[in-house]
Amino acid sequence: MTERSEAPLILRVQDVRKSFGGIRAVDDCSLAVSPQSVTGLIGPNGAGKSTLFNLIAGLYRPDGGEIWFGDTRIDGLPPFEIVHLGLTKTWQIPHELRNMTVLENLVLGSKHNAGEHLTNLFFQPGLVRRDEKRWRQRAREVLRLTQLDALANEHAKALSGGQKKLLELARALMTDPTLVLLDEPVAGVNPTLAGNLMDLIEKLRRDGRTFFLIEHDMNVVMNRCDRVIVMHQGRTIADGTPASVKANPVVIESYLGG
Amino acid sequence: MGVPARPRTRNERAGADRTAIDTGILTNVGFYVYVSIVFALLALGFNLQWGYTGLFNAGIAGFFLIGAYTTAIAITPPTPPSIGYPGHLGGFSLPLWLAAILSMAAAGSVAALVALPTVRLRADYLAIATLAFAEVLRVVAINWESVTAGTIGIFPIPQPVEFNPPSAFLNAMVKVAIGAGVLLILLVVLLFMTESPWGRVLRAVREDEEATMALGKNTFLYKLQAFAIGGALMGLAGWLFTITINYIEPSGSFAPAITFSVWVMVIVGGAGNLRGAIVGAFAIYGLEWLSVQLKDYAPRELKDTIFYIRLMIVGTLLIVLIIYRPEGILREKKRILR
Repeated sequence: MTERSEAPLILRVQDVRKSFGGIRAVDDCSLAVSPQSVTGLIGPNGAGKSTLFNLIAGLYRPDGGEIWFGDTRIDGLPPFEIVHLGLTKTWQIPHELRNMTVLENLVLGSKHNAGEHLTNLFFQPGLVRRDEKRWRQRAREVLRLTQLDALANEHAKALSGGQKKLLELARALMTDPTLVLLDEPVAGVNPTLAGNLMDLIEKLRRDGRTFFLIEHDMNVVMNRCDRVIVMHQGRTIADGTPASVKANPVVIESYLGG
Repeated sequence: MGVPARPRTRNERAGADRTAIDTGILTNVGFYVYVSIVFALLALGFNLQWGYTGLFNAGIAGFFLIGAYTTAIAITPPTPPSIGYPGHLGGFSLPLWLAAILSMAAAGSVAALVALPTVRLRADYLAIATLAFAEVLRVVAINWESVTAGTIGIFPIPQPVEFNPPSAFLNAMVKVAIGAGVLLILLVVLLFMTESPWGRVLRAVREDEEATMALGKNTFLYKLQAFAIGGALMGLAGWLFTITINYIEPSGSFAPAITFSVWVMVIVGGAGNLRGAIVGAFAIYGLEWLSVQLKDYAPRELKDTIFYIRLMIVGTLLIVLIIYRPEGILREKKRILR
């Protein structure tokens, strides 16, 4: 930890625990993510990766330990406040709002949108109109960026699996996050689209965003991530460059296989 | 409706008496319209809670009861106990408009209190909790005689406008006018609210609450608001019911069957569509009203079964609709944003 403490960290997870019944899903897990990086999180099924993401995003409350986002301690905060701080997540299985259009899905990512407060509707109609207009413009920009603009007025349920993954990312970007947790962003996505998606992530990283992603596609992990963290049975067992992790005997035994 | 029992002569039927017969029919149709509007208000409240926000309220009758009793106690003249009547709280001889506000406030704030611990629950547990709440209220209304007059009920409740000489027809038309006016205003206000960014968040909560949280929305607050406003609408339905029926008692009018009817109305009409809720209310109550009207014309052997035939029709209609048009008569429309 000594060499890492010099650089400011965007995310710090310290001794976090979470049990479901008798199962310790996350067990004294500690890890850190550097700003403007693409950090991968790998490990066998049931290692606790998705649970850890839910703990970081505030959807689960940890049984113990601390989670820091920059200088703010975020464990115990409600999810919507964590999003407002600039941390958001996507799901392994897309959580698209099925009976709403793609554009509506995106506009819902608006932050402090005046029209979302009941009193403003009646007492600040001008502000509501201006805010809504601004957010719709922003949503259209993000749609162009993610190449979903042709589908703006389709119901989200009409999208293909890969398009839903793009929608997840687009919607996350609407909240203007500094750190995005991506749960298997390219699972089930065809290779061309997956390549485009990872190019987009690389571009967004250069613009100053940080990505922390769970992925089983070793191609993506080895070629696109700056650093890789390996989880096994609820804790981290390795942490380093893709090459060093690939060569680590403990990782080979528990995950990568001979 | 004041129709003489004596068989009329052809002359009488053709002559001066015809207008009386016509107003009798119109009075009856008026009754159908204002009772349907009462159900429409309940359906609009439930639609906001379930159709938009996904909160399955099984205690509709309870919020309806609160509104009805609040109005009855507010608008009747002081009613101390007397021989043959146990009396009830008040009354306070308040004007109708004030009673409407009080009923909405009472039902709305109780709905907010009920929502605080329950809207976090999963859908099925929310249904159980609210169903129990409504039944507890009904039992309280039956037994708390000094406030509600118990099973005897509260009566007479004054007509909205007293005519001299009394006229059932004019009374019915006044009630239709009040109901239609309230319904129209509500429709406009609710359309404005549900088609706003606020309404969009409600629909997002219905679609996927976790995802909505991850988009930075305080979903609990939205659920609380939707539940409370829906409850207030049910309170307003209670207000309209009391001033139109002029008599309330707890056993029948606020039984769980009322809640179930409103569910059917919203499912048949179209969840997530305000006009659908209104269409559903007029259609489903229309079947009940028709079955009562047809009773007089039905052959003797059908007279007692027509009530059950109606239930069978409603049940079959519901099954057919759920299979072939699960989104209801008027489906939720797609919102194209510009």
